[in-house]
Amino acid sequence: MYTSVLTDRRSFIKRMALLSAMTAAATMFPGILFAEEQERGLPKNGNLDWKKAPCRFCGVGCGVLVGIENGKAVAVKGDPKSEVNKGLCCVKGYHSVIAMYGKDRLTKPLIKKNGKYVETSMKEALDLIASKMKETIKDYGKDAVSIYGSGQWTIPDGYVASKLFKGCIGTNNVEANARLCMASAVTGFMTSFGMDEPMGCYEDIDYADVFVLWGNNMAEMHPVLFSRMLDQRSKRNIKIIDLATRTTRTSKASDRSIIFEPQTDLAIANAICYEIIKNGWVNKSFVEKHCNFSKGLTNIGYGLEDKFKFKDKPEKITFEEYKKFLEDYTPEKVSKLSGVSVRDIKYMASYYGDPNKKVMSLWCMGVNQHTRGTWMNNLVYNIHLLTGKISEPGNSPFSLTGQPSACGTVREVGTLTHKLPKGVVMNKKHREIAAKIWDVPVENISPKPTYHTVEMFRALDRGDIKFMWIQVTNPMVTMPKLKRYRDAAKKEGRFIVVSDIYPTPTTDIADVILPSAMWIEREGMYGNSERRTQYFEQMVEPPGESMSDTWQLIEVAKRMGYEKQFYYKEETHIEEIYNEYIQFHKGKKHGMAPLEVLKEESGAIWPYVDGKSTQWRFNSKYDPATTKEGFDFYGKPDGRAVIWQRPYEPAAEVPDSDYPYWLNTGRVIEHWHTGSMTRRIPVLHKAMPYAYVELNPEDAKRMRIKTGDKVKLTTRRGEIIMPASVNERGIPAPMQVFVPFFDENMLINDITLDSFCPISKEPDYKKCAVKVEKV
Amino acid sequence: MKRLGIISLFTLLFAVFIIVWNYSYQSGLEEAYIPINNNKPTSYFLENEGMEYSKFDLDYANMPFDENHQRTLEEYYKNRAYYGAPPIIPHSVKEDLNIGRNSCLQCHQSGGFSKRFKAYAPIVPHPEMTNCKQCHVPQKSNSLFSETNFKKGKFPEVGVNSALNGSPPTIPHPIQMRKNCLSCHATPSTPKKIRVTHPERIDCMQCHVQSNNNINISELEVFIRKNYTNEK
Repeated sequence: MYTSVLTDRRSFIKRMALLSAMTAAATMFPGILFAEEQERGLPKNGNLDWKKAPCRFCGVGCGVLVGIENGKAVAVKGDPKSEVNKGLCCVKGYHSVIAMYGKDRLTKPLIKKNGKYVETSMKEALDLIASKMKETIKDYGKDAVSIYGSGQWTIPDGYVASKLFKGCIGTNNVEANARLCMASAVTGFMTSFGMDEPMGCYEDIDYADVFVLWGNNMAEMHPVLFSRMLDQRSKRNIKIIDLATRTTRTSKASDRSIIFEPQTDLAIANAICYEIIKNGWVNKSFVEKHCNFSKGLTNIGYGLEDKFKFKDKPEKITFEEYKKFLEDYTPEKVSKLSGVSVRDIKYMASYYGDPNKKVMSLWCMGVNQHTRGTWMNNLVYNIHLLTGKISEPGNSPFSLTGQPSACGTVREVGTLTHKLPKGVVMNKKHREIAAKIWDVPVENISPKPTYHTVEMFRALDRGDIKFMWIQVTNPMVTMPKLKRYRDAAKKEGRFIVVSDIYPTPTTDIADVILPSAMWIEREGMYGNSERRTQYFEQMVEPPGESMSDTWQLIEVAKRMGYEKQFYYKEETHIEEIYNEYIQFHKGKKHGMAPLEVLKEESGAIWPYVDGKSTQWRFNSKYDPATTKEGFDFYGKPDGRAVIWQRPYEPAAEVPDSDYPYWLNTGRVIEHWHTGSMTRRIPVLHKAMPYAYVELNPEDAKRMRIKTGDKVKLTTRRGEIIMPASVNERGIPAPMQVFVPFFDENMLINDITLDSFCPISKEPDYKKCAVKVEKV
Repeated sequence: MKRLGIISLFTLLFAVFIIVWNYSYQSGLEEAYIPINNNKPTSYFLENEGMEYSKFDLDYANMPFDENHQRTLEEYYKNRAYYGAPPIIPHSVKEDLNIGRNSCLQCHQSGGFSKRFKAYAPIVPHPEMTNCKQCHVPQKSNSLFSETNFKKGKFPEVGVNSALNGSPPTIPHPIQMRKNCLSCHATPSTPKKIRVTHPERIDCMQCHVQSNNNINISELEVFIRKNYTNEK
């Protein structure tokens, strides 16, 4: 078949003539052109069945098309029709289907008997779980059983979990790992706007002129959105500013990289507000019409002690008082504290203040995993509210998420201890709505929140909780100060059920392991960062006896005597659950798209009103729920958003002479979360085989450490030895180190600190003090 | 009096100038402040721009042909986890800290011979996408975390995609992000099996149609012509 390049002119012309003739002939007889024999040699791949789904991994929620052949998923491509990614994925997404086919996939339930795991049937395992739960409730009360889920729960998973535990059993012991990643975003939204989730959407990227990334390594963590920004930069004059504590791929790709001392982002945000007010860049009419000023308590603690309690006391203040408060945050003062030059602070403020520039702020874990995470969220909103740059295309403070359904399941279904699908357990009306839809007596739903995640594991340690069911998450890699909680789980008299797809450090502590069906092995929905709900059908059969988390919960609920509430039929249960669930959100403020729409389209953004997604909330131009012209922050009773007076306060643990370095943890592009899926994808594992500790080149030189050398990290919680990385993926600032947390062989969380934001209860994984030694 | 008249005239002119300038400046600002573009933003994947990339067609046509340093199709496929997957980076990468951009593009935008690898650099069909390492990752290790059951499917064969002997073969693969045909089919790094004999003919899709990758054939019904004369 192979022909070399043109040998001579003559043969070339001859071939051309022949070719044209053939083409012409083919056009005249179209039947021939599409003849079957033409496709004969194509691998079946050409006839792959492509089905749409949201990606399994991060919170961006890319639309993917999965190629199915002979009942197996064999290929992935980006869905060009998806509004989210328009056909582009990242390396994890492209290889995502391989995650289903690891050889060590769990396919049978395992029960621990005399220290050994014994294979059993699904029926027996579910019977055991139900009887153990009943027994625990009888002996120790309702609040001794708990469920710990995740932002990877599909919407139906989270919904039935909440219904079973909150509605039927009557305990608020429902939490999810999203507490560890976006609780501060939630409390930020609630305190500033009274309603959760971003007002804008990804399309803002196509309109904004300036992007400020607050501690957000988007090039690695939200690469598809970052590429969308880069694409805009190639077409228009836009600026990307990376404000971070570590030099990353994002810093290198941005127009300006600004490095600040950990925790001083609080002061920087206030300094930007100071500059905005000082230079008269405040959008006065917007602030007068749409904003209130408030302050809360200060010196609020770090939640390090068991049974830590905190309740903020908001208090209204005037603009003048707020202005006075900001005088402590002149760029000159903040520059000294943060290490950011006065020029850089003014530079950022000038973009926020320029009425002709549309600004998008983006953040994720840097702001949320912060002992003042709620405050940090408030402060970013302050900047946007003072300048009126909000709820408009391109003017958008945008809180990103890291899990496919942190928004859809944890935030919207409300699988947190204080939440209900609509509202909170403390509110009588909200309890009544839930009781009615759930078909349970209203007294069943307890009005008191119980434990947030860290406290839930502390309760397990203390013995207040005896039974815990863990689904779709890997807390024995991700909990801060991990050793305490691992030991807790192993204590006598605790019963742990783990539903997962592979053996992990969390299945190691289980008494019963249930094999789960993942992603497209079952039917479900995810909700991404931009309020988009996406549906996926079951495309392949789950291996062995694997069962969806939804159905596991339903089976147990039935065994516990809640057949009436869990009436769902196996063939149609996802549809039935979704239709039941969306009753909670009826109305213009949170209406969800009907299932048929989700099946047809690449998802829909709520509030879905009169057959239309609402891309920008609170703006009467786009949002039908507004009741007045212009802006209406209807989450608050008076329709006004709140500008919060939030000071700078130091981190819970600050480097000192014994532990002189900052320890920061995070992710890498190749691995997603604890790597239990991505490490089983050969391409990704080979690209990033193990964790490492990143050092600043100057520090490394001083300690004579080079890449690959063994380094001992010691904190007040323990020590760990890992290989060094110098001048590789990222460069921490001097006297800081960075460690990715995906590697279960090097559990960095053994030595992190379990301090958390007192308002959101979200731990700070980004800051603790560590000693660094060459081994 | 005359002098005063001239002065006041100029003052008046100046004042008018200031007013006009100010007005136009303000309206300019206003315009700048309402830049909400109601047109949907363009997709960031070049649709229908395939031909633009064919602009080097003649260069390709005249390029010498180095048979000693050519990849085989097997090597070409080896770097992909499945048919259609983004290829891995089969060589070490000096700098891990950047997203790719120029450090990748300096070789992979226009190709050329690399002495170090003794090979021609493959040319990327989508150089406008600069976050290269978003999809392409180097391999640092040969070991696996755990064994996998995932099997690479079959890759398309060559020489069997033509309806007639000599008729233009169909395109057996998706062209999303691969619209620049020549970057894979006409460069010195092109495996000889898929090398095009006529890179100078620019509009590839004039003769080569896509086989059914983008259309779900099973959803299409057989076309039956309505016989209007028989209708009531």
